Amino acid sequence: MTDLAEAHAGGLATRLARWTSDYQPRPGIPDEFAGAGGTRRGAWPRLLDRLGTLSGTEITTRFASAERHIRDTGISYRIYGDQREHAWPLSSLPLVIESAEWRALSAGIVQRAGLMESIVSDIYGDGRMVSEGVLPAALVAGSPEFLRPLSGVKPPGGRWLKLYAADIGRGPDGRWRVLADRTQAPSGPGYALENRMVLTRAFPDLYADLHVERLAPFFQAFRDGLVMGAQRSDPRIGLLTSGPLSSTYVEQAALARYLGLLLVEGDDLVMQDGALHVRTVAGLKRTDVLWRRIDSDYVDPLELNPASRLGISGVLDALRNGSLVMGNMPGTGILESGALAAYLPRIARYFLGTDLALEGPKSWWCGDPDSLAHIRDDLDGMTLRPVATPTKGMGRDAILGPHAIGAERDRVLAALRDRPFDYVAQEQAPLSTMPGWERDPEGMRLVPRPFVLRVFAAATPEGWRVMPGGFCRISERPDVDPIEMRAGIKSADVWVLSDGPVEPVSLMQQGASRVRRIAGHLPSRAADSLFWFGRYVERAEAVIRLVIAHLGSVGNAVIADMAGAETAPTALRIRALLDEWGAIEAPDLPTAKLAQEALGGRDTYGSALSHSLSARHNAASLRERLSSEAWRVLADLKDLLDLDDAKELAEAQLLGLAERALSHIAALAGLAQENMNRTAGWHFVDLGRRIERAINTCSFAASFAGDEATAEDLGVMLSLCDSHVSFGARYMQGVAIDPVRDMVLLDPFNPRSVAFQIDAICRHLADLPALRVDGLPEAQLRLAQKLAGEITTGEASDFDGAAVARLENAFEGLADAIVTRYFPNGPHAMRPQKLVGLA
Amino acid sequence: MIYTLRHLTTYRYGKPVRFARCSLRLQPRDGEGQSVLSSELTISPTPRTRTVRRDYFGLDVVSFLIDTPHSELRVEALSRVAVERPPLPPAESGPAWESVRDTALTGRSMAPDAPVHFMFPSVRVPLDPDVTDYARRSFTPGRSAYGGAVDLMRRIRTDFKFDAKATDVHTPLAKAFSLRAGVCQDFAHIMIAGLRGLGLPAAYVSGYIRTIPPAGRPRLRGADASHAWVSVWCGESWIGLDPTNNIGACDDHIVVARGRDYTDVSPIDGVVSSSGPQKLKVEVDVIPDGEAMPEDAVAGSEAETA
Repeated sequence: MTDLAEAHAGGLATRLARWTSDYQPRPGIPDEFAGAGGTRRGAWPRLLDRLGTLSGTEITTRFASAERHIRDTGISYRIYGDQREHAWPLSSLPLVIESAEWRALSAGIVQRAGLMESIVSDIYGDGRMVSEGVLPAALVAGSPEFLRPLSGVKPPGGRWLKLYAADIGRGPDGRWRVLADRTQAPSGPGYALENRMVLTRAFPDLYADLHVERLAPFFQAFRDGLVMGAQRSDPRIGLLTSGPLSSTYVEQAALARYLGLLLVEGDDLVMQDGALHVRTVAGLKRTDVLWRRIDSDYVDPLELNPASRLGISGVLDALRNGSLVMGNMPGTGILESGALAAYLPRIARYFLGTDLALEGPKSWWCGDPDSLAHIRDDLDGMTLRPVATPTKGMGRDAILGPHAIGAERDRVLAALRDRPFDYVAQEQAPLSTMPGWERDPEGMRLVPRPFVLRVFAAATPEGWRVMPGGFCRISERPDVDPIEMRAGIKSADVWVLSDGPVEPVSLMQQGASRVRRIAGHLPSRAADSLFWFGRYVERAEAVIRLVIAHLGSVGNAVIADMAGAETAPTALRIRALLDEWGAIEAPDLPTAKLAQEALGGRDTYGSALSHSLSARHNAASLRERLSSEAWRVLADLKDLLDLDDAKELAEAQLLGLAERALSHIAALAGLAQENMNRTAGWHFVDLGRRIERAINTCSFAASFAGDEATAEDLGVMLSLCDSHVSFGARYMQGVAIDPVRDMVLLDPFNPRSVAFQIDAICRHLADLPALRVDGLPEAQLRLAQKLAGEITTGEASDFDGAAVARLENAFEGLADAIVTRYFPNGPHAMRPQKLVGLA
Repeated sequence: MIYTLRHLTTYRYGKPVRFARCSLRLQPRDGEGQSVLSSELTISPTPRTRTVRRDYFGLDVVSFLIDTPHSELRVEALSRVAVERPPLPPAESGPAWESVRDTALTGRSMAPDAPVHFMFPSVRVPLDPDVTDYARRSFTPGRSAYGGAVDLMRRIRTDFKFDAKATDVHTPLAKAFSLRAGVCQDFAHIMIAGLRGLGLPAAYVSGYIRTIPPAGRPRLRGADASHAWVSVWCGESWIGLDPTNNIGACDDHIVVARGRDYTDVSPIDGVVSSSGPQKLKVEVDVIPDGEAMPEDAVAGSEAETA
C-alpha cells in the first residue's frame, strides 16, 4: 500500500483534517503549502481537496499500476560507484505551482539562461568581462573547466548552451532563488518526463481537471533547438553517453528513445575527413549533432583529457570547422563555478543593465582582498569550499561547515593564507520545504520536508523556453538534503497549473512528414550487443535443455528401478558436456545439486544464470532498442534462475523451474519474432541465435549422435532438439542413427536442425548491407554459402563424429567472420591504445 | 649561437597498426630570445591528413592521421635555431615575492604568457603542502621573487639525485619528491609545484640543452636528449631557471614549447589501433654551428610496453 492510499482511510473531511491540521512550517523556513499565520497557499488546497475525494481502494489500485509501470520500464538510477541500479522512488504527491507564480519564475530562468550564454561566449570569445575588470582573470584561468582548446571557437549556430538547468528553492525571504546553475550536461529532463507518465497514469482526471501544463511541447522545442546550426537539412542526431555504468544511463536511454536520437558512446564515433561519423553496419555515416551527456573534459582525448576513454579523438576539429553541433558545447562547465556566482550580480548589470530576477545565496571569492577581510571577520553561518570543484549546491563539498570552531577553523584559516583565491565562501540557509507524507500511530499526515526543484530551459529557434514542470527531489527526513538522489530521497512530479484547459499534444509531427521504412543505420556497437544478446539467450536455452534431459533420463531410470542411473553412459555424457561448457564445477555431483548449479550457479561462468546475466548485460546497453516487455521477461528469467545457493531444491522442483525458464526464453523469441521490425537490429538478434543454435546442435550431435551412439543417447539427442514428436510421427520404428542425424542436422523443415539455421543465416546475411569495396561477396557471406552447400547436398551417413566436429568449427569461423565484418570496433574487439611516452 | 636540431622518434609495433591519430609538438618556437631559421617535419608512412593548429599557448601543433597498416612510425623534426638571450639579472633583484603574487592575481590579461595561467594546479602539477613548505624556506618575508626562485633551484639541485631509473614519464610528482630523485621533468614539476603553492606563477618549458662531448671523444649521433626546465614570473618578466643543472636558461637552452606542465608540451601524443606491444626509440642531436656532424653509433633512449 502506498503512502497516499493509507492516508485515505475515513471520510473526506476527516481525511483532510487529519492530513493537515497539525501542519506547521518550520520556524524561519518558507513552505510551499503553509504561509505565515497558518494560511494555505496557492493551489495546494485544490489539489488536496481533489485527492481527498478519491477512495482508498481506488488510489491503491491506481498507484500500484503506476508503480508497476515504473518497474517494468526499468526506470532506475545508480549511485555513483555502485554497480546496482536502484528502483526509482517517486512521491505520490506532486509539487504544484500556480500559473502566475510560474510565469515570474520562468522569466527569471530565461534571464539567467541568457546571461549564462553571454558569459560563456564572452569567456571563450572576446574576453571583455576580464579585460574590462568585471570578472577577475584568475577566475577564468584558474578554473579546471576553462578548456583552452575551445578558446576562439565559434559554435555552429552560435549557441554554447542548448539546455540550461537551475536547482532552485526559496530563500529565507520566501522568494525563489537559484542554489546552483547546471550548464555542463544537465541531467533530469528524462526523469521529469517519466515521473509525469507515472502520475498521469495514476491520476488522469485530477491531472486534467487541474489544467496541468504538458511537457511534450517543451521536448519538441528542445529537439528543434538542438539541431539549430546543423549543416544538413535532415541531420543525424546522437546522444553521447558514457555507457551503461553512468548513473543516469537509463534516463539517457529513455530520452534517446523519446526524442528519436541515436544513443552513442565514444567508441561508436570516429572523425574522418574533418567530420564526425558513426560506425554502423553499413559503414561510416556522417553525424551532425551530438547531445553531450559526458563531461566536457572527456570529449576529446587528443586535445582535452588524454586519459579519457569516453570521447572521440580529434572531435574538436569538427566543432571548429562547423560540421558538428554539440549541445552543450564543451567548456560550458565553467559556468557552474561557485566563484562565478559571487560575480553574477555584477555581470548581470554589465550585460543586461539590470539586476538578477533570481538571486543566489550570497557568495564571496576569497581572492578579493575585501571579501577575504569580510569573511575572516565573520565565518559563522558560512561554508567555504574550493573554487576548482563545481558547486554541488548548499555546501555539500565544503571544507568548512557553517559553525566551525577551534582547530577546524584554524586549519581553514591556514589554507586561506597561501592561496586564498582557491576558495569561495557562501552564506548558508536551510532548504525550504513542501508537504510530504509521514506515518504516525493514527495514520498518515502531511509534514514539511526539504526539497530542491530543478527547472530546465532550452535554447530554441524562438528563444529560451522553460519546461513547465521539472524534476523535484524531496527528502523523507527533515535533516537530509536532497541535492542528489540517494537513500532517503524521493523524486516528485512538478505540476504547473494553467489558467485554462490544456490542449493535448505529443511529439506527433505537425504537417506533412516523410514516410520512411528504414529506421536508419544500426551502429556497430548496438549490432554487436544484439548479436551477443541472441547468442547468450540461446546458450542459456541449451544449458537448460541439457539439465532437463539429465533430470529426465535419471528420472526414467529411477522409475524403472535401475541402479546407478547417475552413472549410466548417457547421463555421464550429459555431465561431461555440462562440465565442458563450464556450467558445473565438477561432473560428479549428485543429480539435484548438479542441476541446481547448472541452472542457477553464480560462480560457474557457463550456468544458465550466467548466460542470462550476460544477455541482460548486452541488453542493458541497448535499452532504447528493447521493448519494455522484452526487458521484463529478461528480468523475470534472471529472477527465476537466481537460486539461493544455501537452499537445496528437489529434482522435481528443479525440473519445473527449468521448464518455466524455457517458456520465458520462448517468450523472448516470440517477442523478437512478432514485435521487432525486420530491420538490421532484428537480423543481428536472430543471427546470434541461429549461429549459437547451430554450434550447440553440432556439439549435441558429437556427444549423442556419434558413431557409438546408443538408443538412449539418440533419445536424448531428439529431446535436446525438441524433435521427439516429429520423429515419432515420421518413423514408426524406434530410433536409429541415420534418421536421427538427418533430422537434427540436415532436415531443412525442422526449425531446430543445423540445415534450418544455415538457411536462415544465409538469408540474414544477404539482407544486411554490404560494403562492396571490390565487388566480391563479403567473407562472411561466402563462408555461409559454402556451409549451406555442404549441408544441403550432404547425406546422413556422411556426418560421422569427425564431420560433425568440422561442421562445428566451420560455424565458429563464420561467427568470427561476422564479428570482423560488422563490429570491428565493438566491445569484443581490440581497443585503441595510447602511444607510450618519453620525457 | 646557432644550432642544428634533429629529433627522430621511431615506434616499432609488434603487430601492424591499422590506424594512428597523433599530435606533435616538436618544432622550436620563435621569441624569448630565439628565432627559428628553418624547421621541417617528416612523417612516415605518409599520413592521410596532416593539419597544423596554434594552441592556446602559441605553439604550433601538428596533427596527423594514418590509416594504412604499418609496423613502424617515424617522425623526424629537423630545425635550425639562432639563440641569443640576455644574461640573468643581478642576484636578489626585482620586486618582493608577496607583491609579485598579489599583482599576478589582479592582472586583466589573458594573453598566452599572462602570469595568471600559470599559478594554478594543473594535470601533472597538483599542489602538495609538503612541496609548498619545502619551497617556503627559500621565500623569507620580503625577499625578491627572483632571489627566492634561484635559491629554490639551487636547493633542488643539491637535495635531489639525478637518477633516470628512479622515475618514468608517468611518475607522480609526490613520489619523485619523496624519493628526492628523478630526471629534469620531475625537478621542473617539483619546482613549479613549490612556487605555485606559494601563489607564484611558474611555467614548464620543454626543449634541448647543448651538451659537451667527453674530452677527446667525438659527438655520437642521437646521444643528446630532450630537456625541461622552469620559467618563473618574477614580477616584470619571465626568467628561465634550470633546476637540473642549477643554471639560468641562456644561450645553451633551446625552447620548443611552454605550458603549465608536461601535458601541455608532450612531444608526441596519440592513439593507435593495435593489440601488440610498442617499442619507442628517441634520438636527439643538438649541434652548435662550427662543430663537426656527429658520428653514427648506437645511441638514443628507449621505452616499451607489453
